[in-house]
Amino acid sequence: MKELIEYIAKSIVTTPEGVKVTEEAGERGLVVLRLEVAPEDKGRVIGRQGRVAEAMRTLLRVAATKEGTRVRLEIM
Amino acid sequence: MKEIEISAKTIEEAVHRALEHFGVDHDQVEIVILKKGKSGILGFGSEEVRIKARLLTEMQPKADVAKVAQEVLENLLKLMGVSAEVEASKGEVPVLLNIKGDDSGILIGRRGQTLACLQYVVRLVVSEKLKAWLPLTVDVAEYKKKRQGALRSLALRLAERVKASRRPITLEPMLADERRIVHLALVNHPDVTTQSTGEGDQRKVIILLRKR
Repeated sequence: MKELIEYIAKSIVTTPEGVKVTEEAGERGLVVLRLEVAPEDKGRVIGRQGRVAEAMRTLLRVAATKEGTRVRLEIM
Repeated sequence: MKEIEISAKTIEEAVHRALEHFGVDHDQVEIVILKKGKSGILGFGSEEVRIKARLLTEMQPKADVAKVAQEVLENLLKLMGVSAEVEASKGEVPVLLNIKGDDSGILIGRRGQTLACLQYVVRLVVSEKLKAWLPLTVDVAEYKKKRQGALRSLALRLAERVKASRRPITLEPMLADERRIVHLALVNHPDVTTQSTGEGDQRKVIILLRKR
C-alpha cells in the first residue's frame, strides 16, 4: 500500500525526491499512511477540490480490501 | 479544432454543459462569453447567456500512448495487489484500456466510482510522463461499454415518457462520463432536451420538453 502511494505521488510531482511515505500501525488493524511532499507539490497531490487525494484514497481502499486491512491516508 | 456554442441561464451552467459535452476538465477548454445575458424582472425580459467553448488540445494518438498507459495501469494494479490482465486498443482515439481478471467487482466500485478514480490516476500519470493531456478510457470487463448501451436506451425510453406526459424526468445522480452519454444520446432529439443540476456526486441529468 505504501508503494502504491509512493508510485502515484512520485509520478505526478515536480520533485520526486521530496516524496516520503511512512507507514504506521494504528488501532484495531488500521494502517496509517503519511504522505509528505515538497511544499510546492502539495497542490498536485491534493488536486482541485481534493480530487487527486480522493482518487488515491479510493485506490488505496482497493489495496486494503485485498490485504484484509483498513487504511487511512494523511497528507502532511 | 473542436468548438461548441451553448446557451444557458447562467454562465456556470453553460460551462458545465460544455465540459460535459467534451468530457474533459476545466483546464482543457477555452471559454469565450459571447453574450452576457440578463436576469430580467420576474422572468420577463430575461436573456440567455451564450458561450463558446473550444477544446484546447487536439486529440492526436501517438504510437506510444497506448504502451505507456498500459504500463502505468499494470503497475498500479500490481501495487494494489490485484491480479489482472490489461488489453490496450491500438490506434484508437481515445486509447482504450480494458482490464480482465477476477477482481472486476472491486475495481468498478459503487456506481463505477472506483473505476472513475482509476482512470483519473492513469490519465494523470500518463499526462505527466508524456507532458501532454491525452484522452484515454479505462474499462473493466467491458463494464463501461455495456453501461453505455444501457444508458443510451434508458435515455431514449425516458425521452418518450417525457414527451407523452409533458413532464420533466430527473435521473439518478451519475458520474460525468455517464451524464455525458445521456446528453449526447438526446442531443438531436426533436422533442426533448437535457440539463444537469446538483453539485458534486449529486449531479444528475434532467430530461425535459424542448421549448418551441
